[in-house]
Amino acid sequence: MEFYVKVLEITCLHTILVLGAYLMTGLTGLFSLGQGGFVSIGAYTAAIAFIHFNAPFPIAILMAVCMGSVVGFLIGIPTLRLHRDYFLLVTFGFGEMVRAALLHLAQLTGGALGIAGIPKLVGLPMILVSILFITFLISNLKRSRFGRNCIAIRDDELAASLMGINVYSHKMKVFILSSAITSYGGALYAFLIMFIEPNLFNWLESAKLIIITFVGGVNSIIGAIIASVVYYSFGEFFRFVDVWRDVLLALAVLFVTIFRPGGIFGSWDFSLKNLLRWRAKKI
Amino acid sequence: MEVLKAITISKNFGGVSAVDQFAMVQEENQITGIIGPNGAGKTTVFNLITGVYPVDTGEIWFCGKNITGLSSHRITDLGITRTFQNIRLFRNLNVLDNLRVAYGIKTHYTVWEEMVRWSRVKREERETEELARSYLAYFGLDKYVDTFPYNLPYGLQRRLELARALMAGPKLLLLDEPAAGLNPKEIHQLIQTLLKIKEEKNLSIIIVEHHMELVMNICKILHVLNFGKKIAEGEPKDIQRNKAVLQAYLGDEG
Amino acid sequence: MEYHILLQQILNGISLGGVYALEAVGFGIIFNILKFSNFSHSGVVAITAYLGFFISKYVYTNFLVTLILTTLAGGFIGVMIEKLIFRPIRLKGAPLTLFLVNSITAAMLVQQFFAATLGDDYYPYPVFMKQTSINLGTLTISKTYTLMLIISGLILLLLTLVLKRTKIGIALRAASTDVRTPSLMGVNIDFVISVAFFIAGVLGGITGYLLGMTYSVDPFIGSMILKGIIAAIIGGMGSLGGGVAAGLLLGGAESLLVAEIGSSLTQIAIYSGIFVLLLIRPEGIGGKRYIIKA
Repeated sequence: MEFYVKVLEITCLHTILVLGAYLMTGLTGLFSLGQGGFVSIGAYTAAIAFIHFNAPFPIAILMAVCMGSVVGFLIGIPTLRLHRDYFLLVTFGFGEMVRAALLHLAQLTGGALGIAGIPKLVGLPMILVSILFITFLISNLKRSRFGRNCIAIRDDELAASLMGINVYSHKMKVFILSSAITSYGGALYAFLIMFIEPNLFNWLESAKLIIITFVGGVNSIIGAIIASVVYYSFGEFFRFVDVWRDVLLALAVLFVTIFRPGGIFGSWDFSLKNLLRWRAKKI
Repeated sequence: MEVLKAITISKNFGGVSAVDQFAMVQEENQITGIIGPNGAGKTTVFNLITGVYPVDTGEIWFCGKNITGLSSHRITDLGITRTFQNIRLFRNLNVLDNLRVAYGIKTHYTVWEEMVRWSRVKREERETEELARSYLAYFGLDKYVDTFPYNLPYGLQRRLELARALMAGPKLLLLDEPAAGLNPKEIHQLIQTLLKIKEEKNLSIIIVEHHMELVMNICKILHVLNFGKKIAEGEPKDIQRNKAVLQAYLGDEG
Repeated sequence: MEYHILLQQILNGISLGGVYALEAVGFGIIFNILKFSNFSHSGVVAITAYLGFFISKYVYTNFLVTLILTTLAGGFIGVMIEKLIFRPIRLKGAPLTLFLVNSITAAMLVQQFFAATLGDDYYPYPVFMKQTSINLGTLTISKTYTLMLIISGLILLLLTLVLKRTKIGIALRAASTDVRTPSLMGVNIDFVISVAFFIAGVLGGITGYLLGMTYSVDPFIGSMILKGIIAAIIGGMGSLGGGVAAGLLLGGAESLLVAEIGSSLTQIAIYSGIFVLLLIRPEGIGGKRYIIKA
């Protein structure tokens, strides 16, 4: 039983990270390989605040989110005006920079040895509530002006700007929000796995977040969540074939992009209204 | 009242003069046309007015306000909207959402309110939806609410683009080759529609077009461009007989 | 820093830079024509690195022969990747983002495949030469580094000739302006794209071989080419010459900095530098500003 709880914890935590990536890459089309950088920033900020500065747990988490948002804003300034491929690579560079900085500031961060002995203050209930809350927020954004603007920008930036959308400003909001969510996930991660080190979340893990979003379908939040749950729980259940699950993931993604480019769930999103309408039709 | 004034605007692309000292004045509640052979720089003029490219020289004034150098979204907010030569509808938004996007600038709720779906959000969303649906009805698109734009027949896509340009209640509407690809019946409908919305919404319209029937029928004034320069300006019946214009289109007959 | 150490570092840097330049060009060719970032290039590098090892160890231990075999294999692999991963979605008119996703996925596939199968072992290339370095006064010139530099230089020269003088080279350049143009000239666009991937694959093969020879092979060898991709951006994605210049610059800067301030600070410095550069000049050294057609 305890094993299953643990699997669920890891799976759901990664799902929070996928949601952050969904907002940025799925909905708005900003391909960032630097999400790992924010996971680390969140994790380390929370851990350092808690251990070195004796901040209470909620404050430590809050600081992690703030730090992530601020860094997101700072990184966004030079990068959000760049062409998509440039953006991808400089965000990769950002991720590497964070890793290098963590290694270098050994006094504070423990360098390559990382930080150990973080108490386990995060459990399944907290993670599940977090997922529900974040999904609630993103879902509300998606079905109102914010979400429509994201998709418009993703589809055609020029036309979007001519519809009155301030593209740069909107991208910045997305970036900051996504960084906040990802840092939050990172902070929870630190208090879940109790040990963090600079290689916690490298560019490949960041890439996986993007890929999972595409498998689920970029127009579906539920798709991203389901794809994430399947991938990460599969990985935990089959630990002994851990590396093969990435090969399988890669093959699954290629299959989806070639044969079902809308993603497995396409544009279908769960909504209470649709559910009731469907049930009414059946009657 | 002068709605738009372009004062000798020019745009150069790597040595090629796309627009050369173009000037025009547009009055309220008026339909004018910009015509000329292909590559004459007509769409570039639109791009300059809407802030897609910055002008190299010259100024653009809109309703008494200098809009030279402003960004596109600001210009749209001030009241200029447009359609495109190659239809640019948002392919991943359904028909209704394509219209709703265009009304975003008129809504006032903040991101924070959006995240928790505060009452103001619900109210303004309803407002947006009602307006969008009314336009769909107006253009005969109501049964396509859930369809995605590129699944629509071409003529309906053009209508949708026009509806989208009207959502934010512009004062000036720029139409880039609105008749391209339409059959004669659809063009006739377009003419009727344009005349109707001009009156109903007190719009000023500038049309870039190749289709002479459309242009001759509804434009009060025509500006003729060739190689980026304006070679003639006047009423359609005069333009039809203008030597320079005929030469530009038909070439030197000797 | 003392003069001769400085010179030494610069020499090392240039050799490393030569490899980066190769990577940048391999990456840039695909970017020019198909307009997306081809991360699967790292897969080619990894596969050829392993291949080079196995060929040289078990089949034929001659430097030149194994290099040529590996290089050709690289070209072939490049073409295969295009056929299996990119052509199906190209024929369906997929948006560029999907190409990007597929290329990252392919890179991950290769890396994780090797991690799963050959991951835990250490694969050093056999030693090809008796003496690994030449002493020139106070400078120690590493033979491997020198070879890297010479080979990189030759290949890039050869490539320039192909692009400027041969028919297929001209078709490739035409395709980078507009991917439909060659078909209007009666050239089969599928063929042109395959050639592009072949050339990129060949470059990847040489890169894989050189990297494997210098650093020994592990599943993450593909990630080393990310530096080359960075060189491609700072060089400006559209400009192959810019990519070469940037690669050399990057190699030189990295060597010098690492000797001075250590590895982690160097990473920070280099990436910060790139941020600043792109802030001032978003199109890179040789790139052109994008003009959007409305």
